[in-house]
Amino acid sequence: MEIGSGVRIGPFEVFAPLQPAVSMIRQYGEHHFPGRLIVVEGIDGSGKSTQLSLLHKWLESKGYGVVFSEWNSSPLVKDTTKHGKKKKMLTPATFSLIHSTDFADRTERSILPLLKAGAVVLCDRYVYTAFARDVARGMDAKWVRELYGFAVKPAIAFYFRVPLETAIHRLLDARDGFKFYEAGMDLDLSDDSVESFRMFQGRILAEYEKMIPEFGLTVIDATLPIEVQQAQVRQIVKTHLDHAHELRVRP
Amino acid sequence: MRATYGKALPEMRLDDLGGKLVVIEGTDGAGRSTQINLLKPWLEELGHAVVDTGMTRSPLAGDGIRRAKEGNNLGRVTQSLFYATDFVDRLENEIVPALRAGFIVLTDRYIYSLMARAIVRGMNPHWIRSIYSVALKPDAVFYLRLGIDQLLPRVVFTRAFDYWESGMDLYPGHDMYDSFCSYQAALLTEFDRMSSEFNFEMVDASPDARTVCEHLKKNILQLLERDSRKSFVERLNADAAKERSFALDRIPTSPVHSNVFPVSFPPPTPAVAPASNGNGHHALNQK
Repeated sequence: MEIGSGVRIGPFEVFAPLQPAVSMIRQYGEHHFPGRLIVVEGIDGSGKSTQLSLLHKWLESKGYGVVFSEWNSSPLVKDTTKHGKKKKMLTPATFSLIHSTDFADRTERSILPLLKAGAVVLCDRYVYTAFARDVARGMDAKWVRELYGFAVKPAIAFYFRVPLETAIHRLLDARDGFKFYEAGMDLDLSDDSVESFRMFQGRILAEYEKMIPEFGLTVIDATLPIEVQQAQVRQIVKTHLDHAHELRVRP
Repeated sequence: MRATYGKALPEMRLDDLGGKLVVIEGTDGAGRSTQINLLKPWLEELGHAVVDTGMTRSPLAGDGIRRAKEGNNLGRVTQSLFYATDFVDRLENEIVPALRAGFIVLTDRYIYSLMARAIVRGMNPHWIRSIYSVALKPDAVFYLRLGIDQLLPRVVFTRAFDYWESGMDLYPGHDMYDSFCSYQAALLTEFDRMSSEFNFEMVDASPDARTVCEHLKKNILQLLERDSRKSFVERLNADAAKERSFALDRIPTSPVHSNVFPVSFPPPTPAVAPASNGNGHHALNQK
């Protein structure tokens, strides 16, 4: 990078400088790092985390160097997010920005260097979660996509598609209710947290559906038995990793 | 009606933001906070309510940014977005409500410093501008400009070099002095580039604080007078309209002494009948 020379580059090599906004996100990630980035997406209760952890075990057993990264887990940022949620001081805009800050730290600190080092990086939720939630909260879709313009494009983005009622039954079986922001209570949709959750997650599902063609998400039917889903996931992952010759083996 | 730089935030109304948003910009050590400390009491003496704000003062992200800067592991993208979070929190919860209540908001730095810092750290200018497109356009931006030659002694002899002000995250191999010079020069280039794009009012920050302040006061008075003259004319027009409708109210639609009490009172003589002459004066006064 040349400071003050008038030559500007994006945050990373993968960032396409000065691309028109709409095409930016599709170009960000045509990276040539030796590693592979695999992400799972879907609403709460879709079973995506279960599937990712099964995939993790399998990849390790095959000898790949695998690293896992979770949404909202940056050591530098997560306390601020927690503080904002606890005090209910987040607006749609600051909710969006603090999550992008968290994601930026994880990208700079781990995702990017690990891909350069040749690891298989697994992410539970990725930029699509932000696109779905923030737009459901009323943020401008284009603004949010540009906000995440620094992100690395995943090799595969699985979307675990599940009907809303199935997800709600799974979640309520395991716990009593929903948290304030998780249920979209900040939007004043309903005073009842379950009802608010239903309306908010409905909006999120609609956003995911729009993103399937926009970003080429790989859809998995999350109502199928766990084993069937996992077999499909492994089959798809296998075809991507077979061509990756520079991956690190596990120490 | 106020405008943003492109995108409006959800549920942010722009039509009733009556106050004034005044930005004091400039590099580190240009004397921004000194000026704000002089301007605030002066404006209050003149009868204006003032709110002052600045970077990392948001209840949401201020502490988080300070903690993150204590270590040496705050990345460039993360840093840019953390500051954007801090800015938008203050925009929504401090700046906009103050403007709505008719305050003068004096802000120590605004999106321009944040964009300059991000751009010299290699961020895509298009990307960072897109993020700050939600910011309100201010009423005035005073850019306190100071060349590196004048900036250096201020920093060296008052508070010494700071890791971040010297851009040590950018030039880790340099010593603080070399790094400071390169970093501040890059920032100045970026500020000068933005100057015409964002209508900066350029203020030479090299004279003593009092002289700089007099210059700022003159400009701020012009800004306030321009608007108070406008609102004075509006008020005159409103008063005139009220006067007209008031006069109309007072014109009786029928004679005052109609047939309400025909027995007790003598019938009105034609001379007294026009109880009002149309100017609001009672007819009896004409005697």
